[in-house]
Amino acid sequence: MHEKIIKVLIAKPGLDGHDRGAKVVSQALKEAGMEVIYSGLHKTIDQIIHIAIQEDVDVIGLSIMTGAHIQIVEKLMKKMKEEDIFDKTVFVGGVIPTKDVSKLKELGVAGVFPGGTPLSETIEFIKNNVKKT
Amino acid sequence: MELIKKVLQGDEKSAARLISIIEEGGDEGNRAISLIFPHTGRAHIIGVTGAPGSGKSTLIGKLAVSFADKGRKVGIIAVDPTSSKDNGAFLGDRLRMRNAEKTEDIFIRSMANRGYPGGIAKATAGAIYVLEALGKEIIMVETVGAGQSEIQIYSLCNTVITLLTPDCGDEIQLMKAGLIEIGDIVAINKTDNAGAEDLLANVAAYIEQHKTKSRQTRVLAIQADKGSGIENLTDALNAHFSFLNENSHGKDLKKIKLKTFMLALLKEEIWNKSLNVLTGNERFEGIVKKLEKGEIDPYAAAQMASEMTGL
Amino acid sequence: MAVARYIKDEKDRILDVILESGIHVKPSYTPDDLNRIGFDYEKDVADPGQYPFTRGIHPLGYRSRAWTTRQYTGFGSPEETNERFKLMISHGQTGLNVAFDLPTQMGYDSDHPMSEGEVGRVGMAVDTLRDFEIAFKDIQMDKVGAGLTINAVASIVLAMYQAVGEKYGYDPKTISATPQNDILKEMVGRGAWIFPVEPAVKLIGDTIEYSMTVMPRTNPVSVCGYHIRESGATPSQEIAYAILIANAYIDNVLARGYDIDAFVGRFSFNLNVFGNMWEQVAKFRAARKLWARNLKEKYNVKNQQNLFLRGLFGGGGYGLTKAQPENNIMRGAYYALVAALSGAQTTALCSYDEAYTIPTPHSALLSLRTLQILMDETGLRDTVDPLAGSYFIETLTKEMENKIEEEMEKIEKYGGMIKAVSNGYIQKLVARQAYEVEKGLETGELLKVGVNIYKEGESKEVELHEYNYESAERQIKALKQVKSRRSQRDVARTLKELETVTKEGRNVMPCLVECCKAYVTLGEMTDIFRQEFSEFQEPALF
Repeated sequence: MHEKIIKVLIAKPGLDGHDRGAKVVSQALKEAGMEVIYSGLHKTIDQIIHIAIQEDVDVIGLSIMTGAHIQIVEKLMKKMKEEDIFDKTVFVGGVIPTKDVSKLKELGVAGVFPGGTPLSETIEFIKNNVKKT
Repeated sequence: MELIKKVLQGDEKSAARLISIIEEGGDEGNRAISLIFPHTGRAHIIGVTGAPGSGKSTLIGKLAVSFADKGRKVGIIAVDPTSSKDNGAFLGDRLRMRNAEKTEDIFIRSMANRGYPGGIAKATAGAIYVLEALGKEIIMVETVGAGQSEIQIYSLCNTVITLLTPDCGDEIQLMKAGLIEIGDIVAINKTDNAGAEDLLANVAAYIEQHKTKSRQTRVLAIQADKGSGIENLTDALNAHFSFLNENSHGKDLKKIKLKTFMLALLKEEIWNKSLNVLTGNERFEGIVKKLEKGEIDPYAAAQMASEMTGL
Repeated sequence: MAVARYIKDEKDRILDVILESGIHVKPSYTPDDLNRIGFDYEKDVADPGQYPFTRGIHPLGYRSRAWTTRQYTGFGSPEETNERFKLMISHGQTGLNVAFDLPTQMGYDSDHPMSEGEVGRVGMAVDTLRDFEIAFKDIQMDKVGAGLTINAVASIVLAMYQAVGEKYGYDPKTISATPQNDILKEMVGRGAWIFPVEPAVKLIGDTIEYSMTVMPRTNPVSVCGYHIRESGATPSQEIAYAILIANAYIDNVLARGYDIDAFVGRFSFNLNVFGNMWEQVAKFRAARKLWARNLKEKYNVKNQQNLFLRGLFGGGGYGLTKAQPENNIMRGAYYALVAALSGAQTTALCSYDEAYTIPTPHSALLSLRTLQILMDETGLRDTVDPLAGSYFIETLTKEMENKIEEEMEKIEKYGGMIKAVSNGYIQKLVARQAYEVEKGLETGELLKVGVNIYKEGESKEVELHEYNYESAERQIKALKQVKSRRSQRDVARTLKELETVTKEGRNVMPCLVECCKAYVTLGEMTDIFRQEFSEFQEPALF
């Protein structure tokens, strides 16, 4: 019986169109043996949650480049509460100042991987932190 | 199962979870399938097959919205290949179904085939059952898109659409590949590309030559990205489904397909069981060594190995 | 960003250098190399200002005029933007480069749900003509041109620029706007698209057609190899795709029956400077030559002036690091050097603290001073194309030319640029390359100071601007006010007209100007387009 396969949603919330990082991470996760869904650009939180539910992903990764990460994560967590899907692990990447990391973790984000984080780190983290068994 | 009850009540989250359980396989997965199966059998299962790049996702997205606009409840299962190199997969089909994604009552689920042959995943049938139990009347399945090997889709679906495009290669190859045989409807996509008319004519001629009383394949021209021909296609799909339900041959076909699919699963079962028996077995290793040294030929080796399985 | 791949021996001696474009660099170059490539000064290079313009589009280069510097401005509210405009002009900046917030770029008004948390964040919020009236107050619009970083709704913003110019008494023929207006690159590398490819290209054709007669000082298109490079394209791909994208827009206007000499001269380019220094200089020289040849041979352009590749060479965003951010000041200086050695007419630098938000006044000033020092203190104005004649540079230029042409052929073989972008062929390719670069950085195959070598050093935290909630609130309130005060009849009338014109496939610009004057909002105008054109469907990715 092989190890459970991890299913990840890499999402681009909001209006920002910079997707280089999201696409790079998607490729890295796939090569690490995960099943990856990329949401595409300009998704609302509702749409992202909708995808996460239908696909029953283990992990939701948000890529946020505009500085709006706190607001976006607050909204996401509120929606995750409404839908009761806290068995999904959330991580955030993009442009995230160090000083905001603790706030994000307070909100429920399991890991923060700003641009420049080695891909291997992100991969290890996901493998070790998937909640669902 | 609590989960099953919720699915029957229309809860998407539970349906998604149930599909995952079936994907994980094992006893829990099989049990789930047994429990859900009685709630199936009435939905229109539509398979869409065709080469990569032929426009399957775009077409399914458009069809789904068209059906949903008319009040039908739609489910989509999109299958993508698992890489044999790293065991990972990109499940990229739903990205191309933007409008379908935004539509209420359309449930989209992506699946990696996890090495399973035949253009679908092992759990695809189970996922179809779940979506039916969820209340979906039309369930569309997008195959991996490898072409010739995608015969399993035929036994799984009521209607199969074979999607061809003018740049998909030599028509003779297509006919040889049996792609056209599988399709109940052959749709020629990207008709604004050069060669579309010729392809349409050749395929139509081929089908005409090979038609039988029970098999009347239809050929349609569409342009999925522009949305043209979609109405014709939905009409043809509805017509085919009615035909199957009203026709005694249609009912027989259903039974034949069920058995065919079961046999395919059986084949996998037997293979996996055999592999379990042989892997790590000293006698088997011995046979392999003899083969490698050239002391026996491959046919004899296979014969000896199969006798070991006790079948 | 790390540059070439270096093959080294165990003593850290370089055995081979492979540039991103695939060219191998030799230990040294001699006259033999020039012979090998069949170097012919007149044919391959020629004097500055002579076809094919390899050495530059002007015989005197910077001796005649220093480069134009454009640093980003555009800050939150129109009032703040106006202040920043005036500040930069007083510091010696000669052109304005305006950034817009994401809702504006994406065609949403500040009060739209999608705009939440983004109003004024990465640039100026524009909802109606009123915002432009505030932003451009007391700006001498006939003396200072404005680069408008706007694409999907460039037609609307250009119309608004005309409307505000007229409001302040300027004849449209005297004002100069450079809307970026390059939608194909959005689909490849920047993501601020709205409509599908064909109607989006049609809108671009409309702006070009319109500007020819009504606002002849407009530079209607700035083809951006820049962002395609930032997404992972190699330098040769950057130029190849830029030329093909420009050609796609040219073809749209030619199909309307215009003579190419009537409009192509005002096309400009926005190209990136990060990468291996020599590859970059060779790239720009080859780019000038190929663009001129493309216009002369493929399109039969008659007027010599129209063959110039005019452009902003600058930026370098991907080359900057979060680690040890002050290093980016030095990087900026080197990039500026590359731009100067390449003969850039206009330049801009990413500020050292650049992180997808607009720079602080301090860092913007640092960038500006970097450029000014280079021009005025170091001798870069002394002579044109100083590297010409170098055995290395001339050989590399020729090799880059070949690489660029190879990349162009690949796309033509695929079926053309429009098809390649619609189907995602280019997006897939650059995403793959970006991933390979990332892997290279992680294995150390590609070097980056502060990231995988020389990591000791203070890593000052990057400061992001706090989101200004009050400013956003004020913007929304101001919008409400404008909406309540405007003539509903005029709004309904001009919108209806826009709908008709759009349906009939006519040029939308005159109508957009009327809409702007009636204080129709950006979102209202965009909604008409959304209704008629629908939205771009992202193509297959991996």
